[in-house]
Amino acid sequence: MSAGNLFLPALGATGLVLSCAILLATANRDRQELATAEAAIVTSETRIEDFKSRVERLEGELEAARAEVADLRAAAEAGDEAPAEGEEVAALPETVTPVTPSTPGQGNVENGKKLFAECSGCHKIGAGAENGIGPHLNLLFGRKAASVTDFRYSDSLIRAASNGLEWHADTLSDYIEDPRTFASGTRMSYDGMKDAADRRDLLAFLRTYSDNPADIPEADPTAVGTDHTVDPEILTLVGDAEYGEYLSSECTTCHQASGGDDGIPSIVLWPEEDFVTAMHAYRDKVRPNQVMQLIAGRLSNEEIAALAAYFKDLEE
Amino acid sequence: MGLNRRTFIGSAVAATTLSAPMVRAAGHGKPRVVVVGGGAGGATAARYIAKDSEGAIDVTLIEPTRTYYTCFFSNLYIGGFKTIDDIGHSYGTLASEYGINVVHDWAIGVDRDAKTVTLAGGATVGYDKLILSPGIDFVDGAVPGWDLNAQNAMPHAYKAGSQSELLKAQLMAMPEGGTYCMVAPPNPFRCPPGPYERVSMVAHYLKANNPTAKILIADPKEKFSKQGLFEEGWANHYDGMIERVGPDFGGANVEVDPGAMTVSIDGEVTNVDVCNVIPAMQAGRIAEIAGVTDGNWAPVNAADMSTKADPDIYVLGDASQQGDMPKSGFSANSQAKVCANAVRGALTGSRVFPAKFSNTCWSLIETNDGVKVGATYEATEEKIAKVDGFISATGETAEVRKKTYEESEGWYTGITSDMFG
Repeated sequence: MSAGNLFLPALGATGLVLSCAILLATANRDRQELATAEAAIVTSETRIEDFKSRVERLEGELEAARAEVADLRAAAEAGDEAPAEGEEVAALPETVTPVTPSTPGQGNVENGKKLFAECSGCHKIGAGAENGIGPHLNLLFGRKAASVTDFRYSDSLIRAASNGLEWHADTLSDYIEDPRTFASGTRMSYDGMKDAADRRDLLAFLRTYSDNPADIPEADPTAVGTDHTVDPEILTLVGDAEYGEYLSSECTTCHQASGGDDGIPSIVLWPEEDFVTAMHAYRDKVRPNQVMQLIAGRLSNEEIAALAAYFKDLEE
Repeated sequence: MGLNRRTFIGSAVAATTLSAPMVRAAGHGKPRVVVVGGGAGGATAARYIAKDSEGAIDVTLIEPTRTYYTCFFSNLYIGGFKTIDDIGHSYGTLASEYGINVVHDWAIGVDRDAKTVTLAGGATVGYDKLILSPGIDFVDGAVPGWDLNAQNAMPHAYKAGSQSELLKAQLMAMPEGGTYCMVAPPNPFRCPPGPYERVSMVAHYLKANNPTAKILIADPKEKFSKQGLFEEGWANHYDGMIERVGPDFGGANVEVDPGAMTVSIDGEVTNVDVCNVIPAMQAGRIAEIAGVTDGNWAPVNAADMSTKADPDIYVLGDASQQGDMPKSGFSANSQAKVCANAVRGALTGSRVFPAKFSNTCWSLIETNDGVKVGATYEATEEKIAKVDGFISATGETAEVRKKTYEESEGWYTGITSDMFG
């Protein structure tokens, strides 16, 4: 940092020759800086162009979405005014995005790679993949439908995208199973892959070219989501406190076992029924809090009962 | 560093042949667990095994530092939201209340046949089960011009403690209108949102103390965690201060000169005042020494975190290659509890329950502007696989963001109690 300053005292002693040399060097450096600055301007201009085209595209998408909303509103109003007997009332805006994107299991990447031969005539994937007859498939998972730059999509897919379609394992699986049922006007001329296990393997292969949750935690899941339905007799379950003790270790990462309360509430010494009710309310997403909804979301009724049985008597 | 370390091992081994003292807790005949590394993985595993076995297992924890500074929240120290003491923890409770044999030394060798660990001080410690939780080391030559000898001129501050203090001191000494440069790491690395929370905290400090200063990020990655949230926050709070050069513009082609304090990005040389170099990472060196790594990381079985190479050696946290979990303190703590349950079951026959993992990463962007990303995971045959997750939304209200920050503070108290008792 201070190399330049240290240099100055020495300057007087070295005489005119060195001064000239330094002046020359300075001029050279200025020239270089000018060249660098000019290059930077060119780079910036290219970036501005990029952003402009992105803005244009997004405005187009916004416009399409607005038109869609207006249409649906009009249709809904018409339906409200005159709901003729037996006649189908205009559909409410339908969101295609699943609430909880989940994937159909792990799948066999090697087999998926072989199956990809059916797709590779039109779709490229991997380093440097570009659009061909179909869009490239890098970073596919979690991507908004019809969103690859410079690819001309069918109106059908653009419409689906404006309704919120995103590519996750479930939507992709449905699309690949029968493209024209999924989006009637799609340009993808493919009859569909009917075997669910094949689709799972193909998706496992495609998944390897998308973001990895280890690097980007918010990236799409790679496992099966657990399905939960609430049993009306949950309050009568007798909890296994020893299992509850093991499960509690997931809670004590945030909630202090001592009952201390510091930004995160205490969960010890609660009556079992209150504990169970609260956990089910998180599981059903009635109580807000993303972390708690997530944690409770994959606990079974027995596990919630086990936790309640453990925490009710916990004193450290 | 590699060379020095190797020389060091040689001399240490020579010393042990002369006098080989055995560090062993009282009660011979009990099963012995040795844990190397006293962070979110190791301290948690040691505490749970000691606590739940109620004296049936001898637990030794080997950790060189007497005060452990958590990497999580060390960015908040740099931003001025926490003091260095707030993030420092001692091992006193683990020793006094849980009976853990805490040894402050470096583990420098593992003999898998004899089942012993060699310490830099010359002792050897025998084990039935060995748990390695050594965190990360840096890949030699990852950033041309930088090595560990340059970490004073260009700190990484990616192991908390003196490095964090150094970076903060350099930030405070930065000339008016100066440039802070971060050389961000490639995937995979410890704490995916960490570098970007760091930038937010540096910006917070500069905004108040040196508002004309600039932040330059050279980043080899196309995308990073919570990108939308960070970029929204930077535009809202620190407009015009932060420039990120991604791989399209040479962010992956970086060299540094710690003597001249310059950074070259794609051949373009820039003078900087503070240079925070976060190089590519690999498992802490002891995992490699133990022979349980494959490439940069140690592959493990998802069900119990045992290594693919040796069923009696387990690797937790950042050093492990487990699948979908990000390298974070929360992940290491979560893995430690699954591992502790399995190890205790193997040694004492206690009940072993199915593995369940979870992670949440909170990040602070500006005062009371907290965001989070979280997920649940399960053990499959191949790996730890992500089941479900969430992320804070852009455009959330100030109240929501404040609550999120308060929640992170609660979590900090919770996890540090869970680690250190």
